[in-house]
Amino acid sequence: MIEVFFDSILYVFLFLTLYLEIFFLITFFEERLKLAVKNTTDKLSYYPSVTIIVPCWNEEKTVSKTIHSILKLKYLKDRLEIFIVDDGSTDNTWNVVQEFANNPQVKLFKKENGGKHTAVNLGIENSKSELIGCLDADSFVEKDALHEIATAFNDDPKMMAGIPTIIIHEPKTILQKMQKTEYHNIAFFKRMLSPLDAIHITPGPFSFFRREVFEKIGLFKKAHNTEDMELALRMQSNHMRIRNVHTARVYTTAPESLYKLYRQRLRWAYGGMKNTLDYRFMIFRREYGILGMITLPLSLFAVVIFLYNFSFVVFHAIKAIAEKATEISTVGFLFAIPTASSFFFNTEFMVILSYIFLGLGLVIMWNGVKLAEGRFRPSMGILYFIALYGIVAPIWFTRAIVDVLFSRATSWR
Amino acid sequence: MKNIRAQIETKKYVFAFVITAIVFFSALLISNIFSRNRIAEVKSIEDKIAMDILSSETQFALLKESSCKSIDHSGTVFSEELGILSARLSYMEEKQGYSDEEVIDLKKYYSLLQIKDYLLVEQVRQKCGVKPITIIYFYSNLGDCEDCKREGYVLTKLREEFPELRIYSFDYNIDLSAVKTMRSIQGVKNKLPALVIWDENYYGFKTAEDIEKIIPQLKHIRLEREKEESIKSATSSKK
Repeated sequence: MIEVFFDSILYVFLFLTLYLEIFFLITFFEERLKLAVKNTTDKLSYYPSVTIIVPCWNEEKTVSKTIHSILKLKYLKDRLEIFIVDDGSTDNTWNVVQEFANNPQVKLFKKENGGKHTAVNLGIENSKSELIGCLDADSFVEKDALHEIATAFNDDPKMMAGIPTIIIHEPKTILQKMQKTEYHNIAFFKRMLSPLDAIHITPGPFSFFRREVFEKIGLFKKAHNTEDMELALRMQSNHMRIRNVHTARVYTTAPESLYKLYRQRLRWAYGGMKNTLDYRFMIFRREYGILGMITLPLSLFAVVIFLYNFSFVVFHAIKAIAEKATEISTVGFLFAIPTASSFFFNTEFMVILSYIFLGLGLVIMWNGVKLAEGRFRPSMGILYFIALYGIVAPIWFTRAIVDVLFSRATSWR
Repeated sequence: MKNIRAQIETKKYVFAFVITAIVFFSALLISNIFSRNRIAEVKSIEDKIAMDILSSETQFALLKESSCKSIDHSGTVFSEELGILSARLSYMEEKQGYSDEEVIDLKKYYSLLQIKDYLLVEQVRQKCGVKPITIIYFYSNLGDCEDCKREGYVLTKLREEFPELRIYSFDYNIDLSAVKTMRSIQGVKNKLPALVIWDENYYGFKTAEDIEKIIPQLKHIRLEREKEESIKSATSSKK
């Protein structure tokens, strides 16, 4: 009886998950013609003035590369300024950035440590540009990324924020390769959420805003260490349009160790749920469109659904392993080898459904890679993602739920 | 600000729902088709065994007065068939659940076939004096017999190693009068797993070694097989 109850919940969750996958694939089908590679125009009809803020805290190793990548951007020099804000670094960051002190495009700021959002706010307050963006000091951009973003702003006067496609730069460890595929998937979903006006994060690396966003709804606020999500939700609650410019590519470095990844993802998962709770008035409200009906409920419940499905898989895997272990200990390894016969090929409903999920997942991954990288290239990352993500993600998801339930705040680092 | 966001298209929601439902229920349907095929496969094995038993019975009746050599019902092929059937049935029991009506029906049929075979073997034994090695095994899968699964593994192993061994396995709780009668004739108590070997009842988990001790012939069979194999390998290496 209990088993039937739990199975029924699982079926509902699986149906919902399948529904969402299909919903996004239909959106992909609708959008497929608009997913052209890059903007071919060399010159823009209008060059909006742009400020790129680089907040840094102990980034002596990477900040220089980040700024050089901004200086190489294909954009009119007199329309682009760079604000480097040292948020009270305790390492050599301030000395490193002095190499740009004489560059007319660059302005340096130093302040006491107050968190990334305070550094960005300082930059916003000092900027008079039409477009204001941000680039984390561990990220760098493709030459034409700003050109692509500005084109999108020119094309759509109602667009208030433009977010890029984020790609993991030169992944080395297995975990980084797994994240690269994960980012490709995120690229797919972001692009699909874009025309639905359902994006709920304007990520740190290279998101751009019209200055009137800050004039109308204010600056970044402290928000569970995921300030970029809070601002996006605030914009959405004011019906401000956020669009994904998938042809604008930004490269970022991924946490290389499990512990660092865990810290980052715990912050994301916890912040995601807390911010959604803060903006819960939009959930299931038709006036907030797909954001209210799908994105926000998902950012609150996806973790629960994921963990439920995961515990189910673990429960059955442990049961099967325990049974096999008993069999081996009773009759020895040789007699415990299963008979090779099509009769014993598992064709349970759940297993067939898993094949369908895997198939649809591969379609999404394939198109995610195409969107992010321009064309599909098979990589080990896909294998690592399929094999590992389900094992490592529950570590931070479980902790995030516990933290949300007990209101335990996470830290940035 | 004025709400300029993309509005929800009910049509799209419904369309996605319909496709999801189709995919979801297709998976269910495919799974059902496979399980039907499995049932059909098991059924056909059972029918084949039933036919074999009937044929042996008829042959036995015809040759009552004749030589016992003509009766072909002590070979290993038959035991292997029962083994295949038993493995498939227990797999289905596991996948479709112990309370699945169709599985229960197949199990009842299987139990009857086993009893019929047992009776035939008994008749051949009395008439012709051959002494086949049989084990009657009673188990329960109601969760009240922890060692039944392990005993099952041991018996499967023995069956694979000694095709001469005839193992009849019965669900102690199956609602079938023939099995209940079998239970009472053998005087098997509800202390499972229970084995009946040559009219003697053994309760509790028995390892393969324990069973080999009870049936010393198994050792002889193994020795003989090893001897045969060494002769074979010797002649093949001479060639």
